[in-house]
Amino acid sequence: MSTANELVKDIRGLVTLPHVYIQIGRLVDDPKSSSVDIAKAASQDPSFTLRLLRVANSALYRFPSAVETVTKAVSIIGTSQIRNLALSMSVASSFEGLPNKLVSMDNFWRHSLLCALTARHLAKLIGRCDPDALFTAGLLHDIGELIIFNRLPGQAKEALLMVLDSDEEIEVHQAEQKVLGFDHSDVGGELAKEWHLPSLLAECIAHHHDVASSQRHRRETALVHLANVIAVMAELDSLDPLDVPPFDPAVWEITGLTKDCIEPAVREAQAGIIEVERLFTGKQ
Amino acid sequence: MRLPLPPALPGFEHVRRTWNESHAFYSARILPGEYYVTKFDEAVSTTLGSCIAACIRDRVSGIGGMNHFMLPASAGAESDSWKAAGLGAGTRYGNFAMEHLINGILRNGGLRQNLEVKIFGGGRILANMTDVGMRNIVFVRDYLKTERLRLVAEDVGDAYPRMAMYFPATGKARVKRLRSLHNNVISSQEKSYIDSVIDKPVAGDIELF
Repeated sequence: MSTANELVKDIRGLVTLPHVYIQIGRLVDDPKSSSVDIAKAASQDPSFTLRLLRVANSALYRFPSAVETVTKAVSIIGTSQIRNLALSMSVASSFEGLPNKLVSMDNFWRHSLLCALTARHLAKLIGRCDPDALFTAGLLHDIGELIIFNRLPGQAKEALLMVLDSDEEIEVHQAEQKVLGFDHSDVGGELAKEWHLPSLLAECIAHHHDVASSQRHRRETALVHLANVIAVMAELDSLDPLDVPPFDPAVWEITGLTKDCIEPAVREAQAGIIEVERLFTGKQ
Repeated sequence: MRLPLPPALPGFEHVRRTWNESHAFYSARILPGEYYVTKFDEAVSTTLGSCIAACIRDRVSGIGGMNHFMLPASAGAESDSWKAAGLGAGTRYGNFAMEHLINGILRNGGLRQNLEVKIFGGGRILANMTDVGMRNIVFVRDYLKTERLRLVAEDVGDAYPRMAMYFPATGKARVKRLRSLHNNVISSQEKSYIDSVIDKPVAGDIELF
């Protein structure tokens, strides 16, 4: 039987972090580098430059004037935020090398992007978390699923059938635990380690189904947990709690949010999804 | 506390029934192509993609059940004209499923004039396919009209798979929308069902009435 760690080792070479992300990451961590250096690194990759400017001029940022240069984009978006953005912008194409027959990539990324938009929106609402980091965390929260679906398709299907067979009383990660002994959050957590992702992202990915087990970034992890459920509501166009997985009751106290935030967050995600699908998955 | 399992009516012994812990009832789970009739206080449930589940009961005696069917996909030309032509070849699979369920209810003491119907499913769950879900919906609505059966509720169409649960004793139904994550598993179940019926001639105890 494979472990989460072995699955991640199996996909080495099939899915790699983009060069531009690694370059920018190095510069962000280097105290001697400036935003000019970062802009220069970002400009090395013309397709990245083009997409960065599209994102900077999108409704996500709502800048009053047009952002025409990478230098301006970097200074307005922020140097450390650019690193997360570079990851967000490349992850969908990175995972094209890991196809599966259980879920269409369009459907997978739609849920991930709804979660990303919602996590970003909630971070802005509470004002104490980095909205761009939460966007990336939301986008990556289920990334372990793509690895399980590709490497262990038979068992993954068995887990999904178990969910359907239980009339959805069992959640997907619980069925994965029963069939595999681990779930997609464990696999995502291992990938985050392998890729040396920032601890905020790693914790949100690894603990979004079990907020209590998060440590340094509990507030962010709680936001991703919340955003995951709200993303399902947005997808199903339903506010009925019986249609979606339950909220961990602890998240309200951790984030300071109340249930009143749910409906506006659903509407916000639904309003933004078409544009971010275009920006982050290359869908026309 | 777990209640004793109610007896299965003759012909339905093979249907798997499970105890629902959180809501304290038994639920008979039917697969594509199956149906289930009961006169006891228990649920019938199924998972639907583009298939239809008709839920029918005698509203006086509470005898009722659910079926789960779809029409086979047909060539474009036929699907445009099948309705105008009356009943196309594929609709016999739908007729078969509807007659079986209704006959099962009547055989166990239900009365035709008391029947009420709810229909669920017919979702468009695969983007790259012709809308088989809509074809199934059109069929079942037509069928109910022709047979003068009373439709009291429906939740059909749209882009979601569904979990439908029906309580014939009370007529209560619960429909849960499912995530697109389940689309491929559900549609492969539906496809293997339709492939299996297409190979077999439809025969047996169908009576059109």
